[in-house]
Amino acid sequence: MQNATAAGGPLLMEAAALGPLHAALRRAGYRVIGPTVRDGAIVLGELASADDLPFGWGVSLEPGGYRIRRRDDGAAFGHSAGPQSWKQFLHPPREKIWTAHRTPSGFEVEPADEPPPALAFFGVRPCDLSAIKIQDQVLGRGQHAGSPYAVRRSGVFIVAVNCTEPGETCFCASMGTGPESGPGYDLALTEMTGGGAHQFLVDVGSPAGADVIAAVPTTPAGETAAHRARSAVAGAADRMGRSMPAGILHDLMAASGDAARWDDVAARCLTCGNCTMACPTCFCTTVQDTTDLSGDHAERWQLWDSCFDLDFSHLHGGAVRSSPRSRYRQWLTHKLGTWHDQFGSSGCVGCGRCIVWCPVGIDLTEEVAALQDEVLHGGTPGAGPRSEES
Amino acid sequence: MNAVAASLLSGHAFLRGMHPSDVALLADATLAVELPAGHRLFDEGAPAANCWLLTAGQVALDLPVPGRPSLIVETLGSGDVIGFSWLSPPHEWQFGATAVEPTRAFELDGPAVQALCDEHPRLGYQLAMRMLAAAVSRLQATRIRLLDLYAPPGGGAAG
Amino acid sequence: MTAATLPARYRVASRAAETHDTVTLVLEPVDQPIGPHLPGQFTMLYAFGIGEVPISISGPAGPGLVQTIRSVGAVTRGLCEAGAGQVIGVRGPYGTGWGEADAAGRDLVVVAGGIGLAPLRGALLAALAARERYRRIVVLIGARSPDELVFAGELQAWRAGGADVLVTVDRATAGWAGHVGVVTQLIGRAQLDPAAALVLVCGPEVMMRLTARALCEHGVPPGNIRVSLERNMRCGVAECGHCQLGPLLLCRDGPVVSYARAAPLLSVQEL
Repeated sequence: MQNATAAGGPLLMEAAALGPLHAALRRAGYRVIGPTVRDGAIVLGELASADDLPFGWGVSLEPGGYRIRRRDDGAAFGHSAGPQSWKQFLHPPREKIWTAHRTPSGFEVEPADEPPPALAFFGVRPCDLSAIKIQDQVLGRGQHAGSPYAVRRSGVFIVAVNCTEPGETCFCASMGTGPESGPGYDLALTEMTGGGAHQFLVDVGSPAGADVIAAVPTTPAGETAAHRARSAVAGAADRMGRSMPAGILHDLMAASGDAARWDDVAARCLTCGNCTMACPTCFCTTVQDTTDLSGDHAERWQLWDSCFDLDFSHLHGGAVRSSPRSRYRQWLTHKLGTWHDQFGSSGCVGCGRCIVWCPVGIDLTEEVAALQDEVLHGGTPGAGPRSEES
Repeated sequence: MNAVAASLLSGHAFLRGMHPSDVALLADATLAVELPAGHRLFDEGAPAANCWLLTAGQVALDLPVPGRPSLIVETLGSGDVIGFSWLSPPHEWQFGATAVEPTRAFELDGPAVQALCDEHPRLGYQLAMRMLAAAVSRLQATRIRLLDLYAPPGGGAAG
Repeated sequence: MTAATLPARYRVASRAAETHDTVTLVLEPVDQPIGPHLPGQFTMLYAFGIGEVPISISGPAGPGLVQTIRSVGAVTRGLCEAGAGQVIGVRGPYGTGWGEADAAGRDLVVVAGGIGLAPLRGALLAALAARERYRRIVVLIGARSPDELVFAGELQAWRAGGADVLVTVDRATAGWAGHVGVVTQLIGRAQLDPAAALVLVCGPEVMMRLTARALCEHGVPPGNIRVSLERNMRCGVAECGHCQLGPLLLCRDGPVVSYARAAPLLSVQEL
């Protein structure tokens, strides 16, 4: 799908204009969040200027492994998904919902009413943009219109970055979420290095995007530059390190309830929940009601939760899903199967974070292939693809 | 008490599907009885020589306890069979039974039915399978009651 | 509504002990009432400073809010101890209703196990208030023992209102003259017409599974049986992910679910 432009064709921007782009966003009232090197990883943080971007840094990814490495091309976005996703800003790990205090006749409740800051997301990969749109459906639409998520989300400015170099664990192409951005961005950049030049093709996706880029030095992109950028992105689709097996995964997950493969992965899974923390679409939360020592003041907080937690399914004195087998099955069959029933799409965007950040390197694309083998083709469980134990 | 026509007997749920000639054999050893409310069918420990196929009313199985009214173990009604103890030694009732309301039933003569079954194996097999099914159903229901499903989570003191 | 919806304040107008551990609260709004509710739906009840739990509404649609609570933990203990005049928080109503009016012209059958009679009471009272709409109204109740029968004082009124009410206990106590046995044994006793019945079942999940199975063996199509399912709930508004049972979010797609839909889900262990 060609990137669309609000008015006219795509623009061409020198890398040096990243600074003015950042400044334009600041002038428009946004706090700019983007990738930056910190603590041996490329994390998402507030960028004081475009210089905070991870120029010349890339990553080496593998199941259960993540290292940053030096690049020789000085690329600002030459890396793929880091340990965090944008959900920490739209759907915070800890959030106060309301406070209450006792009164002579009962109690009074006040909402936690801090207006959210206006954020600009600078460097959203296509998989992560898909993830944001998936969370919009889960947390921001229908009965959730007007929710804190919806309020936060409505003010966000998105600068997407198309991918020209897939990470070793990426599989966005097979999930239909990349390497080219779908709609939903205000601006989309495609980075081009090489031949001594460092430039960006810029696609404008909204009037707000057009306003911001108008203050940044750009020229209309010629056919050559546009073609070079599009080919680089298209080429990335052919160089993915892995892919999710084709097939109707919703039906495979529904038929897999008794599969022996779940025992196989349960023998490896630590139920640590890293995957749910790193996953950009996992949204589960819990509610915590607290009170102070006087008992007169109470608060309700919303916290991230994980279906791997034993308490997650607590009912009548015990956990419905007490075995690791049942908890891993819940996570995967929800992500790839029942998410369709509940929210009308897959819950997976192919970012690969769960593979990288699993301490034992469980690869869900391998697990799906093994389940297909067992459930659809009657293969021997345990004889399918299996991760090497580290 | 009246002798029973085979056509009437074959309508009872317990005998559903039994061959008419086998039902006719059984009818010769069966009486239709009417038990008034409070009628004592049998006492714990007494010789067991009958069973009853209930068609109306309610019978309570009980166990006497010194110093207290008898504990009711189970109540049975239309469609149920009462009495398994006549089938095997020591042929003694394990519980007592009382009709708690006016009750109608088919009363089978134990020794007579036993003799019929010895002589007609097919009848014996059919009756035995039905007795087994009724006992299994009773056993499964009893297991469910033992689970104490309505207790508070984590168990609780007897209410 | 979202998880950030503030609890509405409701005052306890009256409190009645049903059994040694179960209490029925009649609640009146302090401010604006919550939206109109249907039998089968639930609310999230908040005990100040302790926490929130999902509790089925146990009265029919109407201005008041009737909730029956069993004391099984810190929050429910706090709610059961709430006296007249005390203010608690209410969010809701949430979830699907029993849809008892779908039995119009047919037999409405209600099968309750233990505290499961509470979520069914609203549907039963609504049906009795429109008695001519139904052919038979049958109520089958299973309780642990005669002392743990909830709404025991209302059974006579239900019979007078035109319902066939049969009660059985798992364990009899002295003086009990009724049925003794599992509630499924009442299905035959009640002489249900399987082709004409809409059956609403509520109680512990094992009891609902066994009852639904017995009803199917009796000839009732699974689509004519409705169960009230329960899983861990935190938000009540389909945002927290806790109440999932396969594809269902029970706060939104339940708690009342057709047995035709629920049966395959209930048969998978640890789903």
